Amino acid sequence: MTKKNAAMEIENLRKVYSTKNEDTVAIKDVSLTIPEGKFVSIVGPSGCGKSTFLHIVGGFIEKSSGKVKVRGKEVEKPGPDRGMMFQESALFPWLNVFDNVAWGLDIQGMPKKEKNEIVERYLKLVRLWEFRNQLPSQLSGGMRQRISLARILAFDPEVLLMDEPFGALDAQTREEMQVELLRIWSESKKSVLFVTHDIEEAVFLSDTVVVFSGRPAVISEVIDIKFPRPRDLNLYKSPEFRDYRNQIWDLLHQEHHKPVQIVSEVVNG
Amino acid sequence: MDNKLLRMIAVIELLAIFLIWELLAVFQWFPTYLSSPLAIFKSMGELWLDGDLLNHIGSSLFRSLMGFLLVVIVGVTLGILAGYYRRVGTFFDPIVNTLNPIPKIALLPILMVWFGISDTTRILIIFLTAFFPCFVATRDGVKSIKQVYLWSGQNMGASTFQLLRKIVFPVTLPKIFDGLRVSLGLTFVMMFSSEIIGAANGFGLGFLILNADLGGRTDYMFAGVAFIGLLGFIFDKLLLTIRGKVLWWDVNKA
Repeated sequence: MTKKNAAMEIENLRKVYSTKNEDTVAIKDVSLTIPEGKFVSIVGPSGCGKSTFLHIVGGFIEKSSGKVKVRGKEVEKPGPDRGMMFQESALFPWLNVFDNVAWGLDIQGMPKKEKNEIVERYLKLVRLWEFRNQLPSQLSGGMRQRISLARILAFDPEVLLMDEPFGALDAQTREEMQVELLRIWSESKKSVLFVTHDIEEAVFLSDTVVVFSGRPAVISEVIDIKFPRPRDLNLYKSPEFRDYRNQIWDLLHQEHHKPVQIVSEVVNG
Repeated sequence: MDNKLLRMIAVIELLAIFLIWELLAVFQWFPTYLSSPLAIFKSMGELWLDGDLLNHIGSSLFRSLMGFLLVVIVGVTLGILAGYYRRVGTFFDPIVNTLNPIPKIALLPILMVWFGISDTTRILIIFLTAFFPCFVATRDGVKSIKQVYLWSGQNMGASTFQLLRKIVFPVTLPKIFDGLRVSLGLTFVMMFSSEIIGAANGFGLGFLILNADLGGRTDYMFAGVAFIGLLGFIFDKLLLTIRGKVLWWDVNKA
């Protein structure tokens, strides 16, 4: 059954929120395969269920039906085989940078020497080794997310899940972080499932962009981004980049035309 | 600078109150049973030299601090469990909501029937009173933990016990200290209340005050009260110092 080169397989995933009076379908039978070593982004309007989708893959939210497999193994609950990066900083405010990154290794009971080597390697990879004795609260939002990334890479998950990790950053920091992420990713080559509402971010980072439509979430399009790697920020200026961006923009805004027309009818009538 | 100013105002305020009180006493505008600051201060000195004072303080502190220790252990543990597990919380809700508004001193006669006029009774009544603020603060603190902290812990493969010990407990510590501070104050309030039983013999600041009353020594009564206040003050400062040391990471935010 399992495809040999699939990092993540999602089959007919459905999420229904039930209240006393009604059932709301948030995700409607979505199937998606993320090949090994690929960077796949999900874009969609806010509230479309893309973040819920990612949390289900992470095991943080229960699915209603369907299957989620990571390297052939079915997902039931959160686990260190999937490294999840959240939009808000999940760094522990009572621990310094070093101990934050070491936390997952401490939990495993890793010997101190080995642990220290790993923490040093990843803090150097994200270029924040000098800040190891600082508290997260003393660092900027961008630095905090780089440390979050180091913390996740340190416990060596099989795949990375990222939920709008740069969503809370300003535009310029966000671009710097995108370049950083690609640099770091190119060294680990782990499969990534990345959720964002930022079309350009998705195009810049990804091998494949999956476009979700609004509630309930269904896949409206899967677009392969055929830019060579390594990529740099100049890519933003290329006409091909614009084409991808416009294509996805159109897909997302088909959804929005309907309510706009209704509003204008009301105004005219 | 601001802190220094505030401290100076506090000292001046206290001195002013004492001065007015002293003057009222000296000019005998006050009935003698209200004593005077200097007389009380002198009595405190006499009690100190008398030798029994340390025994009184020791006995009282033993009861208060044993009660407080029980609060720290039982209150924090149950509070964490009640906050983390919804079922445990649901189980404790009716118990806590019914017992919390009862003045726990009303249970003293019942405890006396069970445990006699003993330190067990006194420590239990102190514990029962001081338990609730600590329990409630801890429980609500745990309930308000940011979900991403727990998710992160689970993501890194932490067991439930590891989550409780290495995430839930440290995140909740500021709230726990808030609760403990209220609890600590109550242990000193209840220390006196618990010592009004069996005051004829034995040690304790409560005994000292009641015996002074029987002997008509108003100044000794005030001195006893002052010693309780002093102890409460010292231990409150001690708790704040420990808080500052343990929660060094929280200082930047405050």
